[in-house]
Amino acid sequence: MSGSPNMSAGTEGSAAKGDPLLQIIGLTVEFPQFGAASRPALNNVDFSIARGEVVGLVGESGSGKTTLARSIMQLVPEPGYISGGRVLFEGRDLGTLGPSELRQLRGREISMIISNPRGELDPLQTVGNQIGNVLRAHTPLDGAGIRARALELLRQVSIPAPERRINAYPHELSGGMAQRVVMAIALACSPKLVVSDDATSGLDVTVQAQVLELMRDLVTGFGTSLLFVTRDIGITAHYCDRVAVIYAGEIVEEGPRDAFFENPRHPYSILLLSAFAQNERLRRYWLGDTTAGASRAREQGCPFANRCVRVQDRCRVENPERREFGRGHFAKCHYPVER
Amino acid sequence: MHLLAYIGRRLLFVIPQLLGILFVSFMLVKLIPGDPAVMMLGPFATEDGLAKLRAELGLDRSILEQFGIYVMRVLEGDLGTSWQTTMPVTSDLAQRFPATLELVTLSLALALLIGIPLGVAGAKNNSGILRKIADYYGLMAGSLPDFWFALVLIFVFYTMLGVAPAPLGRLDFVIIPPDPVTGSLLIDSIIAGNWAALRNAAGHLVLPVLTLGIINAGPILKMTQSTTERMLQSDFSRYAEMCGLPRHVVVRNALRNALPSIVTIVSVLYGFLIGGAVLVEIVFSWGGAGQYAVQGVLNSDLNPVLGFVLYSAILSLVIYLIVDLLYFIIDPRTR
Ligand SMILES: Nc1ncnc2c1ncn2[C@@H]1O[C@H](COP(=O)(O)OP(=O)(O)OP(=O)(O)O)[C@@H](O)[C@H]1O
Ligand SMILES: [Mg+2]
Repeated sequence: MSGSPNMSAGTEGSAAKGDPLLQIIGLTVEFPQFGAASRPALNNVDFSIARGEVVGLVGESGSGKTTLARSIMQLVPEPGYISGGRVLFEGRDLGTLGPSELRQLRGREISMIISNPRGELDPLQTVGNQIGNVLRAHTPLDGAGIRARALELLRQVSIPAPERRINAYPHELSGGMAQRVVMAIALACSPKLVVSDDATSGLDVTVQAQVLELMRDLVTGFGTSLLFVTRDIGITAHYCDRVAVIYAGEIVEEGPRDAFFENPRHPYSILLLSAFAQNERLRRYWLGDTTAGASRAREQGCPFANRCVRVQDRCRVENPERREFGRGHFAKCHYPVER
Repeated sequence: MHLLAYIGRRLLFVIPQLLGILFVSFMLVKLIPGDPAVMMLGPFATEDGLAKLRAELGLDRSILEQFGIYVMRVLEGDLGTSWQTTMPVTSDLAQRFPATLELVTLSLALALLIGIPLGVAGAKNNSGILRKIADYYGLMAGSLPDFWFALVLIFVFYTMLGVAPAPLGRLDFVIIPPDPVTGSLLIDSIIAGNWAALRNAAGHLVLPVLTLGIINAGPILKMTQSTTERMLQSDFSRYAEMCGLPRHVVVRNALRNALPSIVTIVSVLYGFLIGGAVLVEIVFSWGGAGQYAVQGVLNSDLNPVLGFVLYSAILSLVIYLIVDLLYFIIDPRTR
């Protein structure tokens, strides 16, 4: 790691070219639990994002996507806490930063697009005001400059009649419109990394497609990296350079898009993909005969062992190591699927 | 547009609401044991005299008839006479109601000044010294009787230190009061340019306002703290944090979202204190409306009681209208 000694926020190019923008090493997040010990919400996650890269993070509900997305910003949902590992952003360990340094980072260098935008915007403030808050916190702009920039941003996210919408309140916006506003806020300070957590799941399909196109265009246009969190693996096939699959707090497979979709290695990845295969027999095979009770991750061994149709004795006692199968294509499985 | 239609609709209901309130309180007041005629004529009255007085007062008619007569008089602006003060109730209340209003308004202003900052500080730090202070304050203010606290203040600042005026009304006897315009001594003194009266009246207000303000800051503090805390944990505050907004901006936005609850509790306290400040009024010989009404109840002097109820009801309706207007201003979703 060629970290620069200059650790102050906002310095450009402190990491050498080719270094990942974001590097997560052995990240473990736990929620304090009463009673039986259980798996942490994130278990020893290694993960990285290169500059300008669009990475899809796929997993079912409760797999730890939001926890991962938010621990990047050092904002693990309460009462969770980071119990191990590091998050390096441009070589800086974010875990060592103080509250005010983190505040300068959030919204400026790393920004978040959340789902349910109408619930996350302040109901009492106009759209223009809320964009202005972020600009005021992170840029030297003021007054007329803020308004001009807010209008520009609304235009960039293709909001019709921005002069009118800038004075609208969140409850006056449609879901798609509110989503665009949140995107405008995320892009306000030209961040280096945008994290989108399930941002399009609440929208109907056509609006979803529009918003996704827009997000991809904006991000690639500015050379920003994007972590795209979703439950829908189909979306990642269209919009992402790389795909990571998370199950029960562990990234079970990760690879460049083409390699991943052509030759998925982990049985869980195939289970997710088979849902799109329009082939009932295939889907039934990979789904196995798991009942709801068995779908809980085990305390030891492979987290997927209870649901895996290819499970062997070894899987129940030993959690597989991360193995590389091709260039940048990793999976954690004792008995990976061959073609 | 919207707003005017709303106010119009609201006003449409005012008359029936007032009639209802008046009817219920009329019946309740009649239930109070005690014969006004006996009270008025004293222990040596003759049966004849009593019967004559009852007929004069209309007490020999049915209760509904009595109510009808009362309402007709009220519509003409006549609230009857108090036999204790031998004055029309309207002129008594013209003096006493503003006295209570002035006291309660200033007290609640002080309560807001104490309660909101402490409540916000408590919500901001859910551990730490300010939070402790806020918690203990809420506990103390909730458990102290206001008249007792008033007596303590009088003992310390009048009896011991001698810095406060005697608790004997709103103005020293030697001070010439300003001509009544609004009924508030402070405002009337300013209008009249009577600075001696202004200073003196303000001095008399200090202890009762401190009493009611400090006690009633408790519920305001609690409400501010719990609502602001909830707002700080809500989605939009977490999102603001993700956007890296400065802490004071996040707290300010949370407080603004908590304002409707604070407005509500203040309006409830306001309506309550008009009558509920009576013990403090008695301690300071304030001559306020609550005191007047209680005297009326104790002496079967019914007109003051009903007059007080009517005035309080009108005031409450005005307060609720103002509250709705404030919601309107604060929350765009209600527009
Ligand atoms: N507040 C909490 N208290 C206790 N455990 C929690 C809490 N929040 C999350 N968890 C644990 O963390 C796991 C991951 O939750 P997370 O919200 O990250 O899932 P997710 O993948 O984002 O799900 P979804 O697709 O439904 O948003 C959950 O299964 C749960 O066990
Ligand atoms: Mg989630």
